[in-house]
Amino acid sequence: MELKTKAQAGSFESSDVLILVEPVEKGAGRIIELKSIVMQQFGDDLLGQIHANLDDFKIDDVRLIINDKGALPPTVSARLETALKRAAQLQSGTLK
Amino acid sequence: MIENSDFRIEEPDLSSKYDVDLIRRFLSPLGFYFDESLVEYSVILYNLNDDIVGVGSCLGKILKYVAVAPRFRESGAFAHIVTHLTEHVMNHYQQAFVFTRPDNILRFEGLGYRHIASAQPLISVFEFGYKDINDYKKYLGTIRSTGGEKQVAAIVMNGNPFTLGHQYLIEKAAVENELVYVFVVETEKSVFKFGDRYEMIRRGTRHLPNVRLVKGGEYVVSCATFPNYFLKNETPDMVTQKQAELDIQIFCKHIVPKLGICKRYVGTENYCATTQLYNQAMKTILPFKGVELIEVERKQLTEGVAGDFISASKVRQAIKNDDAQRLNQLLPQSTIEYLKEMNLSAIEQQLKTADLRH
Repeated sequence: MELKTKAQAGSFESSDVLILVEPVEKGAGRIIELKSIVMQQFGDDLLGQIHANLDDFKIDDVRLIINDKGALPPTVSARLETALKRAAQLQSGTLK
Repeated sequence: MIENSDFRIEEPDLSSKYDVDLIRRFLSPLGFYFDESLVEYSVILYNLNDDIVGVGSCLGKILKYVAVAPRFRESGAFAHIVTHLTEHVMNHYQQAFVFTRPDNILRFEGLGYRHIASAQPLISVFEFGYKDINDYKKYLGTIRSTGGEKQVAAIVMNGNPFTLGHQYLIEKAAVENELVYVFVVETEKSVFKFGDRYEMIRRGTRHLPNVRLVKGGEYVVSCATFPNYFLKNETPDMVTQKQAELDIQIFCKHIVPKLGICKRYVGTENYCATTQLYNQAMKTILPFKGVELIEVERKQLTEGVAGDFISASKVRQAIKNDDAQRLNQLLPQSTIEYLKEMNLSAIEQQLKTADLRH
């Protein structure tokens, strides 16, 4: 998946996660800025899950700003997928 | 129990008196006076009974007037509004700022906004987005001298345009210190563009090896943290004073430690009440933060004649009047040459139509 523009998905609400995606130059790697209210308990799990999702989409170079308010794993995956597809301008039929 | 899906967000038409009134009537019992000329985009959050749950607005990258009715404060309405506004801002900018009262620090921090600084008891400023103050600090790290200088001074200037007065202030600081950082205001609210102002200062300080130029970014007298600086205002109020304090708090908290600054130089202010207030705020805050403030008497054109000091506003007046002789008195050679290179007619036109303060 090729990221073309910056994009955003999710919200600041409790039990949700807000994800900002920004394309970076090739070779810059995955720059992930993760902030979570459950960092202590699930920070590593969350990061692992995000890397796994990025692997699935074959994305090696991206900047992610993740502001988690205790979202469940499926929510995180869904928000990430939406944000990435918006950044890749692949998302059709949903809100911009 | 209120579900978030019970909310509906609408974008009122700010050119409609009815819509503006709707927001104003909602905000006034909550202690806000809604001035629609200070916002460019607003939202109203309704519930399914068409009660107004909350409102929010923004101007540029700054979120304003975010408020939720007391009986809905336990719901996610606040987060809902902030999410919507943040997304709106992020479509155009790299980061969003919030100005609010310090009692809201926990609310915005709870959302994920970063608290930058406060001017008690009136204003706190927050940011969120792709860029933040740490990026600016990283930039400062690249500018930072590795020479181990101890006497380090800072000057903040707009340089609109760069005059003999600015040069005099920098030269004085350069003689009295081992190193001088000159912060150039980056906000594009002046007649001369940032690129031009920066270049004029660079050329005018080329002969001073211990002077380093720094971009002011969003954090040194910027539109985001000190908006009233750029308004023409004869009688600055409490809000302006608190914004000035906020700017200085940010300077002390984030910039001073990064660059090891121990002195700040300013010129005395003779006409602009906002800048006077700014200087006054520096006098009260800087010494407590370990930064010495040095107020330098403005350079006089003719010794002993009161009021005959150099200022950029006099230069702009002279440009307006096509008074080349006057310009020669007020500007260093480097600026005169630069003005010849650039197209002055656009600037002249702007000066004739607009009445800008800085």
